[in-house]
Amino acid sequence: MTGTLIRTVRKRTAAVPTTDGARLHATVEGAEDAPVTVVLAHGWTLSQAAWDDVAGLLADRVADGALRLVRYDQRGHGRSTWSSPTHPESGLSIDRLGADLAGVLDQLVPTGPVVLGGHSMGGMTIMCLSATRPELFGDRVRGVALVSTSAGDLASDPRSAGGRMARIRPGVLTAALTGAGLLERLRGLVPPTHPRHRTVVRDLLYGADATDEMVLEGARIMHASSLRAFIEFLPALGDHDKRTQLDALTRVPVEIFVGDSDKLTPERHSAHLAEALPAARLHRVERTGHMLPQERPELVVDGVLRLVAGATGRDVA
Amino acid sequence: MTSTTRTHATPSPGAGAAAPREVRVAVIGSGFAGLAMGITLRQRGETDFVLLERAEDVGGTWRDNTYPGAACDVQSHLYSYSFAPNPDWPRSYSEQPEIQAYLQATADRYGVRAHCVFGAEVTAARWDDDARRWQVWTTAGEFRAQVLVSAAGALADPTYPDIPGLDTFEGTVMHSARWDSSHDVSGRKVAVIGTGASAVQIVPAIQPQVESIAVYQRTPAWVIPRTDHPVKPWARRLYRLVPGLQRALRGVLYASREFLVIGLAKRRAFLKPVGRLARAHLHRQVRDPRLRAALTPDYTIGCKRILISNDWFPAVSAPNAELVTAGIAEIRPRSIVTRDGVERPTDTLVLATGFHVTDLPIAERIRGRDARALAEVWAGGMVSNRSTTVAGFPNLFLLVGPNVGVGHTSMVYMIESQVAYVDDALRTMAAEGLAVLETTPRAQEAYRELIARKSQGTVWLGGGCASWYLDEHGHNTTLWPDFTFRFRKLTRALDRENYVGIPAGAPVREQGEAA
Repeated sequence: MTGTLIRTVRKRTAAVPTTDGARLHATVEGAEDAPVTVVLAHGWTLSQAAWDDVAGLLADRVADGALRLVRYDQRGHGRSTWSSPTHPESGLSIDRLGADLAGVLDQLVPTGPVVLGGHSMGGMTIMCLSATRPELFGDRVRGVALVSTSAGDLASDPRSAGGRMARIRPGVLTAALTGAGLLERLRGLVPPTHPRHRTVVRDLLYGADATDEMVLEGARIMHASSLRAFIEFLPALGDHDKRTQLDALTRVPVEIFVGDSDKLTPERHSAHLAEALPAARLHRVERTGHMLPQERPELVVDGVLRLVAGATGRDVA
Repeated sequence: MTSTTRTHATPSPGAGAAAPREVRVAVIGSGFAGLAMGITLRQRGETDFVLLERAEDVGGTWRDNTYPGAACDVQSHLYSYSFAPNPDWPRSYSEQPEIQAYLQATADRYGVRAHCVFGAEVTAARWDDDARRWQVWTTAGEFRAQVLVSAAGALADPTYPDIPGLDTFEGTVMHSARWDSSHDVSGRKVAVIGTGASAVQIVPAIQPQVESIAVYQRTPAWVIPRTDHPVKPWARRLYRLVPGLQRALRGVLYASREFLVIGLAKRRAFLKPVGRLARAHLHRQVRDPRLRAALTPDYTIGCKRILISNDWFPAVSAPNAELVTAGIAEIRPRSIVTRDGVERPTDTLVLATGFHVTDLPIAERIRGRDARALAEVWAGGMVSNRSTTVAGFPNLFLLVGPNVGVGHTSMVYMIESQVAYVDDALRTMAAEGLAVLETTPRAQEAYRELIARKSQGTVWLGGGCASWYLDEHGHNTTLWPDFTFRFRKLTRALDRENYVGIPAGAPVREQGEAA
């Protein structure tokens, strides 16, 4: 054995195959025998890098062996692929993302307690998982953090940016997808470093306290995602509705976070979730936008650690 | 001939177990250079020679580098012998099996395989000034030769990284040049150390099969698109019918690659479009800004070898891949630990860490007139006359020696230039009845100055990188820093004035030093 001079954290990269031929890029950090695993699902047109600040704050706990951290790129985002051409994407839905998350759990975390965290579309992903695999909740899944997300009805809010986008007609989307190459090139003309680009991103996604550095980092992550991810998931987000299928989530501790300046999934969506999940803790965060995990990572980490404590406490018995 | 070979094929542990075999020329190696030398010897009517080959087959670098995806970065129409065109190349850039098959077929066709002594690794060679012959000890017996040609190659002996704990690793370790095809990488957790020319071929070839692949990168490389395509059957028929066509194509490829020299060695501004091409290639293939940044070199393109690949970037951004830029702190039995404290489980370790190029191991084994090893003489940097001969080492010719390397075009062109030079030297020796031919220190110094002058202002010295082209003193001792046709001109005929010759039968003097 060689002398150990530095404290080390185990890390591995995994490609999780889905039932329809996609491969999801996942990063697993921490000891395999950690008492609990935290699995984080990111939002639309982002990637697992959107959790970097949260992961950074959790790093010590991961290194101590207190928890294992799994992050993955949703299909079509980051390094994850789309389904194989032999499995035509028959109406991409958020339910499909729920099934992907189930695959991540089955293959990377087959045993032991789990805490799930989802931001925006990632939160919807968890709701879909709870609707299709309710048996996991309470048994395997011991806690859920829902950040800047919604149980549905996104399209009916005409004032929200999400609502406005969800009303874009499918024909327009198809046309956009066909011209994606051209649009990509046009998009390249206004890179994230461009002041105008950052102004748009800041106005849409961030609260008053966000630093320029934060906005640039977020813009970079979004710029790296493909137009296809933007276009293909847009109608799916509008169709997402799990408002009457949240029963499984009542069985586990839930922490809900929302920024008061969130324009994509405004406060009322989180308020509705809190109503449907009476035991859940709702955190309304001032001067904060949709990118809450990046804007207030310490709050999210506190919530996750409360859930981890609860999950392991029960596990000891 | 072959029967004699057999006698010596058995390694004799004790010296003097068998009498040394006398030959006129002994060639070390049977790769592209050794075979070219052997073929030339045959064609000038020389039959009294051997090719001493440590392995059991011809091919050299192309025999040894069997890793998945191994292929040449120069088009086959150019990367082949001028005297042995092959109309049947299946691809524009051929893969290792085709190139090796070509070398085997060429060795057979020109009758040099019969001159090969396989399993004969040269352990030592010494100039015997009294006998005026080279004594060569090999694992297949002792040889004595009037002329020794070292065609041992520059990409012959793998370098292994000096990483703590490498010897404690319990999984499979393979150098790219010593690939173990019996080890199935599918489903493995693979680590690849190095991101040079071998790594960019291996990683895309194995990435789809492995469970995960971590690529440990020290310095990113500039990568340009590879315009590889299969050669259509009708084109092959055409090359067969009209050999001149293939020659013309070869000329076009040669000329177009030679244009790069203007940028590499003369005016660096000419590299700008190549740099733009590489940057655009990276941008097109890698979306993630962080990965893109990690893959963007900070030195001028051309300073290190320019790589060509269409699938390297997609492979390192695949779902099961990770590019690791933190330096390796140590290797543990089942994992690799980087300096940032991250430990990655690993069961297969691929060392794509290159070769001993500026410190050729063969140089330690060849001892000249004053019994000093070539490596000792070269301690301050490799020196030579015309990349081929060294003062103090009579009747020794080096192929693929110092300052003959090229990164932009076919090494075979350089080899053929050198072989022509050796050929002319042998012709001169025969014509003048010389037993000994030795270059002078003055000629060597003049050549060193020539190289230094030509290297001034080149991208290799001024491009802001550390590369295997430069020795530990930062001198260019490996690359030919000019148009390759200038090297050919320089080696077209023996520069007799730079040599001292001793006629056969002349009394043995103390030193054959020139005034």
